Amino acid sequence: MTTRRDLLAGAGLAALATQLPLAALAQAKDSVTIGMTLEPPTLDPTSGAAQAIREVVLQNIFEGLVAMDRTGKLVPALAESWTLAPDNLTYTFKLRANARFHDGTPLASRDVKFSFERAVAPDSTNAQRWIFTPIESIEVPDPVTVIIKLKQPTANFVYGLSWGDAIIVSPATAANNKTNPVGTGPFKFARWNRGDRLELARNDEYWGTKPALAKATFRFISDPQAQVAALRAGDIDVFTNLSAPEAIPQLKADPKLKVTLGKTEGETILAINNVKAPFSDVRVRQAISHVLDRKTIALGIYGFDLDYIGSHFSPLHPAYVDLTQTYPVDLAKAKALLAAAGFPKGFECTLRLPPPAYARRGGEIIAALLAQIGITARIEPLEFPQWLERVFKNRDFDLTIISHTEPLDIANYARDDYYFQYRNPEFKALIETIDRTVDEGERNKLYGDAQRMLARDAVNGFLFILPKITVTKADLEGMWTDWPLPLTPLAEVRWR
Amino acid sequence: MSAVAPRSRPRRWWASPSFLVGLLLGGLVVAMALISYIWTPYEPTQMAILKRLRPPSAEHWFGTDQFGRDVFSMIMVGARNSLAVGLGAVGLGLTVGSALGLIAAIRRDGWLDNLIMRMADFSHAFPAVLSAIMISAVWGPGMMNAVIAIALFSLPYFARLARGAALQCWALDYVLAARAAGLTEMAITRQHVLPNIAGVLVVQATIQFALAILAEAGLSYLGLGTQPPAPSWGRMLNEAQTFMAAQPWLAIFPGAAIALSVLAFNLLGDGLRDAVDPRMRRSRD
Repeated sequence: MTTRRDLLAGAGLAALATQLPLAALAQAKDSVTIGMTLEPPTLDPTSGAAQAIREVVLQNIFEGLVAMDRTGKLVPALAESWTLAPDNLTYTFKLRANARFHDGTPLASRDVKFSFERAVAPDSTNAQRWIFTPIESIEVPDPVTVIIKLKQPTANFVYGLSWGDAIIVSPATAANNKTNPVGTGPFKFARWNRGDRLELARNDEYWGTKPALAKATFRFISDPQAQVAALRAGDIDVFTNLSAPEAIPQLKADPKLKVTLGKTEGETILAINNVKAPFSDVRVRQAISHVLDRKTIALGIYGFDLDYIGSHFSPLHPAYVDLTQTYPVDLAKAKALLAAAGFPKGFECTLRLPPPAYARRGGEIIAALLAQIGITARIEPLEFPQWLERVFKNRDFDLTIISHTEPLDIANYARDDYYFQYRNPEFKALIETIDRTVDEGERNKLYGDAQRMLARDAVNGFLFILPKITVTKADLEGMWTDWPLPLTPLAEVRWR
Repeated sequence: MSAVAPRSRPRRWWASPSFLVGLLLGGLVVAMALISYIWTPYEPTQMAILKRLRPPSAEHWFGTDQFGRDVFSMIMVGARNSLAVGLGAVGLGLTVGSALGLIAAIRRDGWLDNLIMRMADFSHAFPAVLSAIMISAVWGPGMMNAVIAIALFSLPYFARLARGAALQCWALDYVLAARAAGLTEMAITRQHVLPNIAGVLVVQATIQFALAILAEAGLSYLGLGTQPPAPSWGRMLNEAQTFMAAQPWLAIFPGAAIALSVLAFNLLGDGLRDAVDPRMRRSRD
């Protein structure tokens, strides 16, 4: 028999049940759940090269003296202004007086000195020491002034300070940043359940404009199909870079979602071993360039057109030169070049492929394209550690496909030991000049020369820029849709 | 019992419906593989990017994949690959496994018998996929390594079966008589034991063949089997995974091809077992 107490309890539960979704709905408007493919190994961007660390923490938890905005422009961050003396060597940074670390300590100039000296200390594992090696000395005359003297004029010095490797940390908390990051940014670290999610909370003491979001949750979903399912079910509000391009038509058809195809700094190339015969012959490399039908490759991998490149440079950068027509698709010319190089019937070689879909699928298409001029490329799929060891480190390869996601990495072509081994003294001299050219217009002109030189020598098969596929709920605004740096800044993200 | 069995029941083992279905399906797979040598509707590795992801039609019976390749042609050539890996792996497993089993039976309860059978136990206890991953990690992925991995996995089955069946033969009166007449152990094995156990081994081989096709599909699915551009059912299934929601035919056809050929060789194996197993034969007559 049902008693009155049971009935009351039942009614109470029913009332609770009807209220819960409403409460959840009201809360959802100042929180956001972000989906990412890879989970960061730690939360300290000064401890290693993993891109996922920067995606989560840079411009959210941590800040540098300067920041890169969504268009790729440098903007003031912890330094409200900076000047370069006429000697082209002395930078003076003025810090924000009201910036504080999340533990309450005010930001001071000695924190900058500490951070930069820590980055080049012998025990440092900073992945981009080049940012700091030009520094001759750091002076801190007062708490808001930092004077940095360089050894020689270095064009990209301030640019490097916008990277995750140049964040400003506090001496008191730096050692624990891997698991409990303490920065100065608009969001504070709240919680990290490894393997599942990471939570950030708004920093109400932030020096700048307070973010609209009170809470942000990063979730890590590596399986492409699970990413699509989570978006369609509404479990996540945004996916920063979807791994399932084939799901785009399906997601575009969903009125609750918005799909944006953006640009990145990811130059995707058919890398060629420039010192190994027959690829050491420029005519062979040019022949290869003449058969690489970029549209076919893009459609085969992604199913839609991409931003194509003709040299190793991203269209996101103002110095970009369009060289995609240097080697138009021309089988007759490609065959003639091969014949002139002594291979009228083509030759056999290997094509070693890392795991990403663009490499595995792209490899099958490129092997089929090369077969048209008699080049038999035997496909060898490798796991990432094997690829890094054999191809990248030991340079044991003929051809490979990889995306170079770091901004301005054209300078790598000046490194003799870099895996494709271009080894051109003329190019090395050009990059050195660029490094010393402080004037931006002049420097961009030289970057144009560098791009043309790489295209002329057909160093690698230049294919396309890796797309950034951002999928958000239709009423979420402010997410970055291009990636001049792979970041997910949340300060300007809000619900409409 | 046998007297009451309905007369409609097939009297001859080869007339059982399951065996006939197995024969038909298996024949279809073999025919597809053989025909693919002289004819396929399209060149299976020929890409046509502008015709990518077309649904099944009169032009492309099973549709096209993400590179615009004809799925039906790929399934036909993929059959070749599955059968070749199956034949290679089971052939290797059958020869080496049976030989080891027969040697163990000759040296029964000796140290060699123990060594062989414990090694069989050891490799039996090792998951096939794990050993395949180890092999491909050392020698790199590829069809030959898949054959070796699957052969290693089927080897203990043949070794145990051969030993058990051979032991029974060794206890038969005429084998004892042959020994008394001074025949060597090798000669007895060749003339009396092997012919006696051949039937059971063939049945086992048919069933292992079905398992090998499945294992090959599994390894190719993981990227450890046949490498592109050579078509393989398992890899087709793997590549179809991301397209499944919008282009289900990419997964359905290779999936069905794997399921039907495994079914075919299992049914064939069952039918052959009925023919060879004396107990089954007795219960039937």
